[in-house]
Amino acid sequence: MQFGIFTVGDITRDPTTLKTPSEHERIKATVAIAKKAEEVGLDVFATGEHHNPPFVPSSPTTLLAYIAAQTERLLLSTSTTLITTNDPVKIAEDFSVLQHLCDGRTDVMLGRGNTGPVYPWFGKDIRAAIPLTVENYQLLRSVWDDEVVNWSGKFRAALQGFTLAPRPLDDVPPFVWHASIRSPEIAELAGYFGDGFFANHIFWPPSHTQQQVELYRQRFSDYGHGTPQQAIVGLGGQVFMRPNSQDAVREFRPYFNEAPVYGHGPSLEEFTRETPLTVGSPQEVIERTLGFRDYVGDYQRQLFLLDHAGLPLKTVLEQLDLLGEEVVPVLREEFAKGRPADVPDAPTHASLVAAKEAKEAKEAADATPAAEKPDTATTSEGDQA
Amino acid sequence: MTTIAVVTAGLREPSSTRLLADRLAEAVRKDLPAGSVELPMIDLRLYGKALMDATLTGFISPELQAAFDTLTSADGLIAVTPAFNASYSGLFKLFFDVLPLPSLDGMPVLIAATGGTERHSLVLEHSLRPMFSYLHAIVAPTAVYAATGDFGGDGNSGLSSRIDRAAEGFVRLLTACGPRSAPAPSGGDELDQMRALLGGIPKGNNPN
Repeated sequence: MQFGIFTVGDITRDPTTLKTPSEHERIKATVAIAKKAEEVGLDVFATGEHHNPPFVPSSPTTLLAYIAAQTERLLLSTSTTLITTNDPVKIAEDFSVLQHLCDGRTDVMLGRGNTGPVYPWFGKDIRAAIPLTVENYQLLRSVWDDEVVNWSGKFRAALQGFTLAPRPLDDVPPFVWHASIRSPEIAELAGYFGDGFFANHIFWPPSHTQQQVELYRQRFSDYGHGTPQQAIVGLGGQVFMRPNSQDAVREFRPYFNEAPVYGHGPSLEEFTRETPLTVGSPQEVIERTLGFRDYVGDYQRQLFLLDHAGLPLKTVLEQLDLLGEEVVPVLREEFAKGRPADVPDAPTHASLVAAKEAKEAKEAADATPAAEKPDTATTSEGDQA
Repeated sequence: MTTIAVVTAGLREPSSTRLLADRLAEAVRKDLPAGSVELPMIDLRLYGKALMDATLTGFISPELQAAFDTLTSADGLIAVTPAFNASYSGLFKLFFDVLPLPSLDGMPVLIAATGGTERHSLVLEHSLRPMFSYLHAIVAPTAVYAATGDFGGDGNSGLSSRIDRAAEGFVRLLTACGPRSAPAPSGGDELDQMRALLGGIPKGNNPN
């Protein structure tokens, strides 16, 4: 199982110091957070993609490549890459270059973003959001999977004899997750392609996430990719920790109360009771997180949101220390217990390369005429004789 | 068993809006076979903060969700609001603003309102009826408006007979519509559209 963090990349005033970081400070802080994630033993760092203030990550692969150059193991991903408004050919190019630079330490999480106005900024029509999602993803798959692409669609100029440059590393494209906050059609899309499904899992009660994951697992199975239990599920989560639970609540409350997404709304107590947000001791975070499995089944990836709502960098780095030292080691051990053998891990570049090689070897063996095959049965009998 | 949810947006206790809701509920109960009807009361005043939270952040409290579930699975609705500034009250509108969209599809509704004077009675026709039409509910033709004066005096204002007449019409509508099953949650259109689109393209590189 993979553990990591995902960032929205918001610039928010710290309500306790009234200081607002500059864009430059926020971007540099994001890099420091990603490097720290690797240092404390996490597996994944994912960045959001936004194209309007108060957010900074408008160019995710630029950020991820810079982080890749300063890390060794960390898997670099997005949360999310906008499949509706980015040109799929450009997504493929950006991730191909990133894949080569970081030796395959990347995958991609596709989504539709959080704001309607982004569509016209990139010349797209929000009314076509779903057809755009399907057409663009179909094209992205084609550009990755087919060496020569002949393609035509409704929303973009046709491609004739197009070849992606550079080709994906080892001719294996990054693994794709489809992310959703509350759209069942995204579970359908992920299930159709047998890709991963990532549930945001932050703003609503667990029952929302449970329904979505159930739908995805069922459709993954319906479309013939394996059993429902073999589907690839990721979850978001949101925590704030201090060794002493009351300290965590006291320190986090002003940030919660002013947070752009849920501030001035439900109380911290209501929100922690009804959603997966956990504010307390590392032990409380461990117990709550282990409980996620009760309603989504054994899953593959857990990402936490730590660096939002104006929390200063120093605090975020302390959170990462607690996560890496006290929480994740226990979660790794506990999640491994009772995990059925046929539940796969999240695909990585190495596992996808191995799967591709195995498939090619099998195809080669099947293609060889029977007469030319070494007669292994006879040889083995001969050896025994 | 027939279930008719009663939504009232009265603000004070005692509230004339609540009083009108109670009287309408009682009149409807009398017009249906004894013991065959439940009339759960959803008093919106109790959900004031939850409604504002839901409006601002999308967060639905468990109590509010329970009210949504009660309403969505009901066979009919009696909805009563005070008239404020030529329309329904903000609290009343907030509730229907955050209620998931298909909840009232095909639901028979009896609308009623209270106000300081009878001069506001058309609020039923120009505010409540269009809103419920938009939500695909079936609004009973006779609605009830009660002014403060209707609750005072000698009780001869005709309010009781208006309540009885509205209840009778509503029960006829309810009976004609028959039992109702809760509509599927929203998002269905998008899901259908996605399924239709996926049906038209080849699968990806997943060979299984």
